[in-house]
Amino acid sequence: MSAIVFENVYRYFTRDGKSFPALDGIDLTVADKEVVALVGPSGCGKTTCLRLAAGFEVPTKGRVTVGGQPVNGPGPDRAVVFQQFALFPWKNVEDNIAFGLRNQGVSASTRFERVSAIIKLMGLEGYETAYPHQLSGGMQQRVAIARAYVLDPEALLMDEPFGALDAQTRIEMQEELVRIARVNPRTVLFITHAVDEAVYLADRVAVMTRRPGRVKEILDVRNVRNAERWNHHERIEDVMDLESFVHLRTHIWRSLREEKIAVAP
Amino acid sequence: MTLSTSAGADRSSTLPARLTRRFLGTGSVLVLLAAWAVLTMVTDTISTNRFPSPLQFWQSTKQIVTVGYADGTLFGHALHSTRLVVLGFAVAAGIGVPVGLLMGWSRRAEALINPAFLVIRPIPPLAWIPLAILWLGLGDAAKIMVIFFAAFVPAVINALAGIRAIEPPIIEAARMLGTGRWRLLSEVLLPAAAPMIFTGLRLALQAAWTTLVAAELVGALAGLGRVLNMAQQDIYPAMVMVGMAAVGVLGWATTRLLAETERRAMPWLAR
Amino acid sequence: MASTSQHPLSKVDALILSMIGLAGFLGIWLAASMSGTVPRQFLPTPFEVLARATHLLTTPFAGATLPMHLARSLERYSYGVALAASIGVPLGLAMGLYRWLDDIMTPVFDGLRFIAPIAWVPFAALWFGTGIGGPIMIIFSGAFPPCLMNAYRGARFVDQRYIEAAQMLGTNSLRTITQVLLPACFPSIIAGLRVGAGLGWQSLVGAELIVASAGVGYMIVQGQSNISTPTVMAGMLAIGLVGLLIDVALRQIEARVRRARGLA
Repeated sequence: MSAIVFENVYRYFTRDGKSFPALDGIDLTVADKEVVALVGPSGCGKTTCLRLAAGFEVPTKGRVTVGGQPVNGPGPDRAVVFQQFALFPWKNVEDNIAFGLRNQGVSASTRFERVSAIIKLMGLEGYETAYPHQLSGGMQQRVAIARAYVLDPEALLMDEPFGALDAQTRIEMQEELVRIARVNPRTVLFITHAVDEAVYLADRVAVMTRRPGRVKEILDVRNVRNAERWNHHERIEDVMDLESFVHLRTHIWRSLREEKIAVAP
Repeated sequence: MTLSTSAGADRSSTLPARLTRRFLGTGSVLVLLAAWAVLTMVTDTISTNRFPSPLQFWQSTKQIVTVGYADGTLFGHALHSTRLVVLGFAVAAGIGVPVGLLMGWSRRAEALINPAFLVIRPIPPLAWIPLAILWLGLGDAAKIMVIFFAAFVPAVINALAGIRAIEPPIIEAARMLGTGRWRLLSEVLLPAAAPMIFTGLRLALQAAWTTLVAAELVGALAGLGRVLNMAQQDIYPAMVMVGMAAVGVLGWATTRLLAETERRAMPWLAR
Repeated sequence: MASTSQHPLSKVDALILSMIGLAGFLGIWLAASMSGTVPRQFLPTPFEVLARATHLLTTPFAGATLPMHLARSLERYSYGVALAASIGVPLGLAMGLYRWLDDIMTPVFDGLRFIAPIAWVPFAALWFGTGIGGPIMIIFSGAFPPCLMNAYRGARFVDQRYIEAAQMLGTNSLRTITQVLLPACFPSIIAGLRVGAGLGWQSLVGAELIVASAGVGYMIVQGQSNISTPTVMAGMLAIGLVGLLIDVALRQIEARVRRARGLA
């Protein structure tokens, strides 16, 4: 079972000898194969949560486990998709995707199979030998997602994955992600500023308070989605037009606004 | 006369405009050459004791290519100088780039090595020449020592900057993908820092040439600097000019070679 | 934030490691000198160099004390850099603004670019002997290219939107140049001056090694002829120190300009 569990997590930053709390007691569980979106006001610590799960940072108190194991540094079992893509500009598309597999010692033939499969799944056929600079933002993020998926990770961690894309490409990529998740379900934790995106993609949406961050409330989207049969709509704009969708979205906006008002001088 | 900054330049890249520009460019060079010939050979405005005429320049070139000057032909001197530059450059880069990479990657290494580096760095490369002569005489070894110090500094600085310039997500992605130490160095750090490393190499090569010519000017047994030195002592301006031209051509050639290497080493760069 | 394997060191750690590094460097130097592997004459201890430097502050060597030599060097340096800046910056700006000027001058500069400034020394010697003109010419040839290039690039690649905004506001040509373009180029110009000043100082040393009868470079050469290694090293350190001070001062100015412009 690959669940991501935050147990009473605190994170303090020290600068010039002073201590700044970033996370103030996070308790959150992303169940096996569940997609959870983390939203919150700027600076609330949602990226910190992701980085703790990824192993780039260490909690000051409490612990983070993935698949039952405490997180101890980054690794391919917790694949990360970065906002700025973070592809290696000097490697072409297929080398970028294959890189993680090479590190794991996967044989060349198996690598070829898996990379080819994911290239097909992500709609990257024909671009295998292209370099990142030759690709659009959307294509580059597809490569980044492919690179993460091909690792067959326990958990997929996405840090505002579509934040660097223009609005229209963003919508396309959201539809892509839904499609892929149906074919290849995984435990996913993703950060986003776009509430639409969170409601569309996630099974549950966790709303954080402003800094120092705590989980303010968690909304169950999956029940609503199943009850209102969002899946029966092909296009994202049709789903976003539904009353149930709008209701959820507005609720989250109001919740976030409460946090912002609390900050204003 | 319209103000033409880069966007303005785009406007004027029509064929007539480009031809005009080419015309102006070649025209100015031709005018200069003509003026050179006229002022030295026809009117005597410039005394050929101080500045050679084109004819003298040509004659000196012939002399040094065939008969030789300052104990060697042009080819011999050029080869000698080039060999020293390449050798000194290679040693400086071979040591400097790894040191720079290490200092860029490890803050501890940087803190340890920096003090020594800060003492060496401000000393202008040419200032090493008297010390080198004192220690190693007028031969090749002294030249290589000076070239080393000249080329070493930019190689280190730029390699260090190259590592520091790597965006953190790239390193984090590499760690996330489970990259081992050596692969991290060879397939992530080096390619990522490569552009800046090459900048350092370009500066190192430039410094190497400048320092070599200076060192040979001060005192040498062979090389283009020696040609310049002898020509100056013999009050032979035409030969000085030949020496300068040779230095320029060799500098250009080695720079082009490095640029080609750079281009091939980094096929992924958007150009 | 810079990318390294570790987080930035705490100030204390950094200081300690730096001290260790410095001690190590001086220690190796001292040991090498005292062990006798190199004759003491050629490798004086750090203390001997320091002592010599202090001695030279008051006692003349090769015709003048160290400060006097430095003053002579700085004098010709200032002339050379001032000349390079006063010709290079306006010319570079003009070339950046007026394409026809750029087209005329660039081939000439391209031809001369690969000739190391130091190669002009023989002509300098031929034309000026050991007079002040020689070093000034060499310094000029070192400092001129950066002053020109940076002014040129600053003018050539000025954000077109500044010009469009000025035109939209109905500004005439002269005012556009003086009140829009020039201030926009200022950071580039300052950067060029800083690099030019640095290269000028390095070229000065080269010039003084060969064609001078006073100045720090000359002092070093005399030290070498007299096999006085402490003098040579003291001179090298003095040159390095002054060059460093000039660079630091100019960097401060440049940083201030950039901050005022909101660039840094």
